[in-house]
Amino acid sequence: MTRHLTFAYLGIIILAGIFFFQVNPAASAPLEQESPPNPNLSISDEYCLGCHGQPGQTTTLGDGSILDLYVDPAVHAASIHGSQGYACVQCHTDVGEYPHPAFEAADRRSVTLQLNAVCERCHTTQFQLAHDSVHAQALAEGKTAAAVCTDCHSAHAVQDWVDQETGETLPEARLAIPETCAQCHNAIYQEYQGSVHGAALSDENNPDVPTCIDCHGVHNIEDPTTTQFRLASPQLCGDCHADPQRMTQYGISTDVMSTYVADFHGTTVSIFEKISPDQETNKPVCYDCHGVHNIKRADDPEKGLQVQENLLATCQKCHPDAEENFPAAWLSHYIPSPEKYPLVYYVNLFYKFFIPTVLGGMGILVALDASRNLINWRRKNQKPQEPPAEEPATNQPLEEPAVENAPTEESAETQAIQEELPPAADEPSTEETAND
Amino acid sequence: MSDKPPATPDPVIRSERIFKRFSLGQRWEHWILFLSSLILLLTGLPQKYRTAGWSQQILSTPERLEFIQAIHHITAIVLIVLALYHLGWAIILMIRRKLSDDILVHIQDIRDFGQMLAYLLFMRKKTPAFGKYNFEQKITYWFVFFGTGIMILSGLILLFPIAITHVLPGSVVPAAKLMHSTEAVVAAIFILIWHFFQVHIKRLNLSMFTGKLNEEDMRTYHALEYERLTGEETDQTGDGNS
Repeated sequence: MTRHLTFAYLGIIILAGIFFFQVNPAASAPLEQESPPNPNLSISDEYCLGCHGQPGQTTTLGDGSILDLYVDPAVHAASIHGSQGYACVQCHTDVGEYPHPAFEAADRRSVTLQLNAVCERCHTTQFQLAHDSVHAQALAEGKTAAAVCTDCHSAHAVQDWVDQETGETLPEARLAIPETCAQCHNAIYQEYQGSVHGAALSDENNPDVPTCIDCHGVHNIEDPTTTQFRLASPQLCGDCHADPQRMTQYGISTDVMSTYVADFHGTTVSIFEKISPDQETNKPVCYDCHGVHNIKRADDPEKGLQVQENLLATCQKCHPDAEENFPAAWLSHYIPSPEKYPLVYYVNLFYKFFIPTVLGGMGILVALDASRNLINWRRKNQKPQEPPAEEPATNQPLEEPAVENAPTEESAETQAIQEELPPAADEPSTEETAND
Repeated sequence: MSDKPPATPDPVIRSERIFKRFSLGQRWEHWILFLSSLILLLTGLPQKYRTAGWSQQILSTPERLEFIQAIHHITAIVLIVLALYHLGWAIILMIRRKLSDDILVHIQDIRDFGQMLAYLLFMRKKTPAFGKYNFEQKITYWFVFFGTGIMILSGLILLFPIAITHVLPGSVVPAAKLMHSTEAVVAAIFILIWHFFQVHIKRLNLSMFTGKLNEEDMRTYHALEYERLTGEETDQTGDGNS
């Protein structure tokens, strides 16, 4: 009985716990749906714009710099927030009836960092993801220039970049992404623009080429200089380059991934990635040969890897003594055929015949030998008194097993016992020198 | 065993001659070959099957991989030295005109093979009479001979790819990789089944330990050699070549 009571108490405690947490919504804000209840919701945007909609509103910050407090009503109205009726006070939660408390910040960057925290109220998932990013890391290290939400999304002109139905990035957004990143990473942007991917994006808004975020991720942008990133990078390229649907329209082989993994470098890299992702390896990954942001076509007349000197130069980065024959030691993603790498192809072909011939023939011979020996042994046991004298009478080969004949071993054995000879061990041993 | 027999034949006591089969040097060669090949196989297989789970348990860190490779390479040097010794010794004997042709393949071996096949298919009652080495032992020897040659050559290409491609085209490297890993497995399976069957299952042949073969085995399995050494007939010959 006491046990039942214990369970009952436990149940009540658990239920009470669940209830308590459910009626405590302040702790867990709903994600992306509606902003949490706000005490200032009664204050309309018109009320705010009464002042902030007038150009020329400024305040002086701690370092003496001037902060413009003007908000263009049209810009906000055109943004995803404005168009869906979100009010100023839903983000600027600490302001209410005029006069509202004075806004204080040391400098302009502090303003951004201070106000940026409010995004988490609705966009918790993205905010948390961004918290794991290399940008957040840099910020934590005191590099205040590191990107926060509004640096990419803007403060008042936030646009919808994702198709809400498919979850895919909108075509216009894909074009905007590299430019957004370029605000800080301009040198890389310039390289990317010249690459086969970047050119296809800016020239034709090609939906298949990667923008920055397809490789680096969106909010939880990883540090791309780590060993983990390096070891995992072939998979990143493989996501598109091993996808036949995407590749056939450009005539690019999808074997690039499997052939890479099958060769020296790729095998090591893929195993390192699996069993010791922290361990550094000097084995090349895709971008070590093809380039990182400045990836060119393999048959590019100037930079392409099909240009023998370019490939040799790439090899020499790690194999400084390599000469012109060396690059051909790498199968260049080809599957050996009579045209490409015929030597490897014919070695493979040779073993395709050699293995079944040798092992099959050997297996048959062993099986025959074993069964013949077994039959001999059984016959010997069945007819132990068979006289060996009968042997010479039947010399011709027989089609059928000759049951009446004793096997050879037996006759040899019975005769050997009668041998009586002086030890002739000296004689055979003189022959020994003749052995190779 | 080879003591002088008593003056009067005793039905219980019998004398048996012992024939020397392998010299001490040859036995050392065999066991060094056996051990080095075994170590090379055991350290090579995890490298060949790098993608398999069991291999990754063994080679779980790059340090372990390096360690295994170091063992592989050191053992390979032992095997190379052995092969050079074997070839060198053969060349010295050849110069002295003392190299036996026992192990060479003759037309007779092909006939022996046919007769053995006939015997195994019950079309013949006796095994053919063999010399010092029968065709099965010659197959073993030459399979190992060429197999070791392929393994050493391809292994050296894999060990020194840059130096090799100074003289040879680059595609010898992937070809060597393919040969090295395929030949190893073929040779291992072949030797394991073929040789193990011949010397352990069919009959227990310990002459690689003792260096000797008793008279009975000599008469039964190497009749021609027995006749050559003793001048006596055995019941294996006579009809064997008919």
